[in-house]
Amino acid sequence: MAKLYITPENQIQRLNGVFLKVQELQNLPFTQLTTPLDPKSWSVLEVIEHLNKSYLLYYNKLEAALQNLPDTENDPSEFKARVWQKIVIEAQRPKNGVVKWKLKTLKRFEPLLDLSQLDQGDANKVFEDFNKLHQHLKTCILESRNKELKKTKITSAIGPIVLFYLPECYEFLICHIERHMVQIEGILSGIHQ
Amino acid sequence: MDDANFTRLKAFFSHVDFSAIDIAHFKSLWVEKEFKQYDFITEAGSIERYFYFVLEGVQAIYILNEKGEKVVLGFSYVGSPSGVFDSFINQEPSHSFLEALKPSKLLAISLTDYQWLFENYPGFYVWGHEFFKNILFGRLHREVEILTLSAEQRYLTFMQRCPEALKVIPQKYLASYLNMKPETFSRLRSNISY
Repeated sequence: MAKLYITPENQIQRLNGVFLKVQELQNLPFTQLTTPLDPKSWSVLEVIEHLNKSYLLYYNKLEAALQNLPDTENDPSEFKARVWQKIVIEAQRPKNGVVKWKLKTLKRFEPLLDLSQLDQGDANKVFEDFNKLHQHLKTCILESRNKELKKTKITSAIGPIVLFYLPECYEFLICHIERHMVQIEGILSGIHQ
Repeated sequence: MDDANFTRLKAFFSHVDFSAIDIAHFKSLWVEKEFKQYDFITEAGSIERYFYFVLEGVQAIYILNEKGEKVVLGFSYVGSPSGVFDSFINQEPSHSFLEALKPSKLLAISLTDYQWLFENYPGFYVWGHEFFKNILFGRLHREVEILTLSAEQRYLTFMQRCPEALKVIPQKYLASYLNMKPETFSRLRSNISY
């Protein structure tokens, strides 16, 4: 199996691409943001809210881990993901704009927005939260460049079955976002992903 | 901006007649910015906000290839301009990173103020013509070197002409700039004197 080397530069570049994409989404008409393809699937806004909820489960863990990690004098360098973590990451990563592995969303990650009660202000709040939360992710990635990354692991949101070093966790989260960006493309073009 | 930095800027904009310029206003257009070693000055995927002039430090501009490896396109150092120029001019997301390889101090001017200088003082057009001509010729020269010289010749040519400041940055950046593996660069460094 090919190794997965993770670099903060690559993650920052992809995350900046996501911010630009989300900025475009924010300018879409409210009805386009809140209309799902069918009653059982999510709207664009629900996908964004799902990303917010998912990240919130990592927010405090990342904060705590970064506070505990000692600084390093070494140059920022690439990080090799471990085998099991790589499998988990790759299961999230879309390949050539296609989501390969369909995964069932756990109840606690569901967006639970009542679309019939939402207004533009609520939509703005969802985007505002997305930007705030994911700017936090970007800050964490930047701060990690000067840290001894093998000194601590964090438990993934699905439990201790997956333990991440921080770069693995960032990669997982970014792949998860990219996966849902593909889903959003599908919603906007009328195709189920 | 202190007098020493203004003198450096005057030397950089050598085709501009500063006697015709409101110096206080000119100075007010520039902001001093400091970066720690390995800070990103500009990130790929973000829009370059400034044209920079380097007061201290060394910076590398690079893109990531498909494997995520850094491919170094160039360096900036004391007295040279810096920034991701295409992103700055077009105000479109940058494809490149600009990273401080050493603690860096830069003077920065925004696009609006940069353009204001051109619109109000024709001397900046003359400077711009020379500046872009030199950049174009430099890039053409580098392309010829990369395409025609051996690794050893590229190493020698570069080491003979590059400023001292560049000789102390991490070897992997120099190796990438010269389109060779870090091991090759290291071997050449220990075997060849210039």
